[in-house]
Amino acid sequence: MRTENKIKVILFFLLCSCNLVASTQNKKDSVTDITPSITLSYLSSNDTIILTANIFDRKEQGTFAIKNAVIDFSASGDKETKFLGQAIADDEGNAILKVGSANGLPKDKDGKTTYSAKFAGKGKFMPAAESFSAKAGRIIVNFSKQDSLSFIIVTATQIDSKGTIIPIQKQKAIVYVPRLFNLLKIGETELDETGTGKVEYPGKLVGDSLGNITVIARIEENDLFGNLQGRSSISWGIPKQYYLAEKPTRELWTPIAPIWMIITLVIMLTGVWAHYIYAVVQLVKIKQLSKKNQNNQL
Amino acid sequence: MSVEDTNDNKKNSRRQFLKNGLIAGAGVVAGGSLLASYVDKSVPASGEKVKVLTTEGELVEVDKAQIHSPRVSIKESHNGIPGRKFVMVIDLAKCKNARKCVESCQKGHHLPKSQEFMKVYLLQDSEKSAPYWFPKPCFHCDNPLCVSVCPVGATFKRSDGIVLIDNERCIGCKFCMTGCPYSTRVFAWKDYPEFAEDKEPYSPEASSPGKEGTVAKCDFCPDLVRIGKLPYCAQNCPMGVIYFGDIDEDTVTNGSETLRFSELIRDRSGYRYLEVLGTRPSVYYLPPVERQFPVERGFNDLEESVKNRFKTTPYGKTHKL
Amino acid sequence: MENKDTKEKLLREFAPQLEKTSSATLIWILFLLGVIGWGVYAFITQVTQGHIVTGMRDNVVWGIYIVNFIFFMGMSYAGAIVSGTLHLFRTEWRKPIIRMAEYLAIISLLIGPGYILLCIGRLDRLYYLALFGRIQSPITWDVIAISTDIFGCLIFLYLSILRDIASLRDFSELKIPAWRKKIYSVLALGYTGTPEQEQRLRRATDIMATMVIAIAIIVYSVLAWIFSVTLQPGWHSTIFGPYFVIAAVYSGTAVLIIAMWVFRKVYHLELHITRKHFVAMGVVMVVLAALFGYFTFSDYLTKWYGSEKNDESLIKILFTEYYWPFIFSNYIGVLIPLLVVGIPKLRTITNISLSAIVVIVALWFNRYLIVIPTLESPYLPIQDSRPEWANYSGTWVEFALMAAGVALFCLLYTLASKFVPVMNVSEMSETPKTESPQIFKAEESLL
Repeated sequence: MRTENKIKVILFFLLCSCNLVASTQNKKDSVTDITPSITLSYLSSNDTIILTANIFDRKEQGTFAIKNAVIDFSASGDKETKFLGQAIADDEGNAILKVGSANGLPKDKDGKTTYSAKFAGKGKFMPAAESFSAKAGRIIVNFSKQDSLSFIIVTATQIDSKGTIIPIQKQKAIVYVPRLFNLLKIGETELDETGTGKVEYPGKLVGDSLGNITVIARIEENDLFGNLQGRSSISWGIPKQYYLAEKPTRELWTPIAPIWMIITLVIMLTGVWAHYIYAVVQLVKIKQLSKKNQNNQL
Repeated sequence: MSVEDTNDNKKNSRRQFLKNGLIAGAGVVAGGSLLASYVDKSVPASGEKVKVLTTEGELVEVDKAQIHSPRVSIKESHNGIPGRKFVMVIDLAKCKNARKCVESCQKGHHLPKSQEFMKVYLLQDSEKSAPYWFPKPCFHCDNPLCVSVCPVGATFKRSDGIVLIDNERCIGCKFCMTGCPYSTRVFAWKDYPEFAEDKEPYSPEASSPGKEGTVAKCDFCPDLVRIGKLPYCAQNCPMGVIYFGDIDEDTVTNGSETLRFSELIRDRSGYRYLEVLGTRPSVYYLPPVERQFPVERGFNDLEESVKNRFKTTPYGKTHKL
Repeated sequence: MENKDTKEKLLREFAPQLEKTSSATLIWILFLLGVIGWGVYAFITQVTQGHIVTGMRDNVVWGIYIVNFIFFMGMSYAGAIVSGTLHLFRTEWRKPIIRMAEYLAIISLLIGPGYILLCIGRLDRLYYLALFGRIQSPITWDVIAISTDIFGCLIFLYLSILRDIASLRDFSELKIPAWRKKIYSVLALGYTGTPEQEQRLRRATDIMATMVIAIAIIVYSVLAWIFSVTLQPGWHSTIFGPYFVIAAVYSGTAVLIIAMWVFRKVYHLELHITRKHFVAMGVVMVVLAALFGYFTFSDYLTKWYGSEKNDESLIKILFTEYYWPFIFSNYIGVLIPLLVVGIPKLRTITNISLSAIVVIVALWFNRYLIVIPTLESPYLPIQDSRPEWANYSGTWVEFALMAAGVALFCLLYTLASKFVPVMNVSEMSETPKTESPQIFKAEESLL
């Protein structure tokens, strides 16, 4: 290696170490270890379980999401623990994992499964974990018409320790329709002994362009079931009207001008410029006349 | 791994969100149709797929590169989000001039302090009537005079009702600023250093990075809407003053509360500001009845320069601000 | 028919204007160039540092620039309308002053649009106006109208100097460099004054005089509509079109009187431009003063009487913060010419010229009061703790560019008078028509 190159290499390392020192000095955070917190939310929807872990660091200045943190999800019962999968936290610290079905997951003696989200820790970020226990359940949404009234029928069931399907009783179920940003609540009902509740369909709800509307029934924040939901669609919605026709209109504010405006402009411009041309033609004629005169004189 | 600063209030409202049993806020995308429209075809696919959750509890897979840059190209920004018509409802009864809407908007759009897309006024309709705080975004009028008067088509109205500005087209004649009767538009009088903070490519949907000598204004944050998030102001209002949604879907939400637009307007006597001008705004106000805060609360924790704004108002004069 | 002897005599008289430049004139030109240089420096400052160097801010987005734009455009239209009308009516006393009106039309028309360019944030994108022009925008109307007007005025000016250029070409005693003779010879288009040439020239001039009047009215109305199509209280007025046209001709007439006074002094034209001409122009100015006063009164009366909330607050600002400019522009600016020309004893050349100066300043403030107080009183009250954002005041950059515009106007006027005499030699050498039309009888009896 030539001396020149050696110097370059040395310089490079010097610069790198300087940068490192500078960056550690700049970042106060890196001086102390960070102990993140995790919140875990659980949603069981039509036999699919969605686990969302949010990882963040709470400081005096506010909370900071921890981006790109790798979260391990697992499910455990009395005896065994099953690894479910891994997800990476996004910009807002959310790591989302979808689990196919609760069937086959380990359970405890009450039939509950404990889901946990673990962050193994990395560098200055300390490990963190959070868990949540829920029992598998199911909500079915049906529709019925009685006389002139329309009803949404919510039926919730669970599987007992013997493996038979039994109703979820005496729970509050909330009925929603999904909207652009959030769910719009349209009613709630108390489930009876048969696990069934009834909500009157409020009407005047906008569905998709064909009038199909999706209805979601949920048992929320439940100690036993977590968030349990079922969904179903029906053609009771008002077909969605699109605001603007696809074909372009001629308004003052649209890209193309109203016809009367174009006509007025064309008439005025033609009128004026025709006269200009007439005047210029006269000048050309004057010039031609002078040539003629010169020729005559010659 | 990196630490991302997120607003405290946002985090609080997110907590609220979880309590309500609705699934986590981030990456929540509404409906497949919206999702398809926000996937930017101009961004090359990275091949790496990420999962995105919809409000309906469905997971959809999208390309990571495409989700990271929800900014669409200038050409594409002329097309509205299909099948949508956006509306905002501002509940004057709940506003206490916390100015989180202004601050989060400025941060999100990389604006200097002197440019406010959202302004909070202290209005008093007449001498004996009560003063109230009045947050004012762009009204995204259905008969927008600013768009009519633009000589080069730099400002345009889309099928989803949003009025945007293309600052690559704008010549800076400021005619739209005089055309707007609501003093909504701002001008970049110089090259503000904040503009350079934004390293992403310019898109009219993001109104960022700004450009010297051009006009800018509130854009209803279609770049956020495309990924299922509320505009900065609605997301960050600690009082839930600002509701946003699709008027054709008859639903508005402030993040924690989702309501039927028609019922909200009916029950709370919603109105549009200066209806007499015939501009047909897309922003509705709920009158400041049964207020949650006295108007004085709005002067708490204000910066001196902001507080001084209200010195010359009738209220400021009588109360010796 | 032209009288050859009279023409020779006149040409001999005016020849020194074209032949020599006195040292005083040279100093004058250098001074003007200095002022223009200051303006160029101000312009460079604005381009490099951004519009922040002006007094304009988000509320008052248009300032002195747009006031000057209205002002110069107004002078141009006045020049066009006065010269066009005087030509069409073959008014006898027009002959010594019509050339000045034509110069006024074209020179201020070349300067005026410059001011609207100064308001534009991104001059590098100016060509977008042509590339992406939307015809719904009054700015586009203005671009089309002003360019049409520039062509019209150039053609009209050319038609009316053609005969003089031909005379200068044929005037052998003129001691000027050969290249200038060459220019005259090319520009004269071989015009020798044959009956057919004369007839064609007259026909073209008559057509263009009509066109120039019509376009001036349209263009200035378009300019007014830039303001009145908006919803701003104070601008959103149906009267603005005609009001602006009248104000334009009024201010332009005053400028023309000043030009007459200056050229009379500088070129010693006392024989040609007499008190008769000043009084005639004074009468025109008085008629316009009355019309202007009437329009102003109508505009503010309706705003004040109806007293819509925002109109009321505008009127309040005008009568408090802008009290003296308002009184000056809308009362004194109307009453002074009425008194000076109305009272026979006061009707002297100096008095009429002085009242013309008052009118010019008053009308400049009139435009200022139309633009700035309106922008300072929008529908939503301005709530800003920064005084420069709430209230407008021009900065040195804007005043430098204003001065530069005035200097450029004077410079171009000076140079134009060095190229072709400031008087229409050919028309002045024509023997007067036997009968002037009946309507001018009354007018001439006034003189």
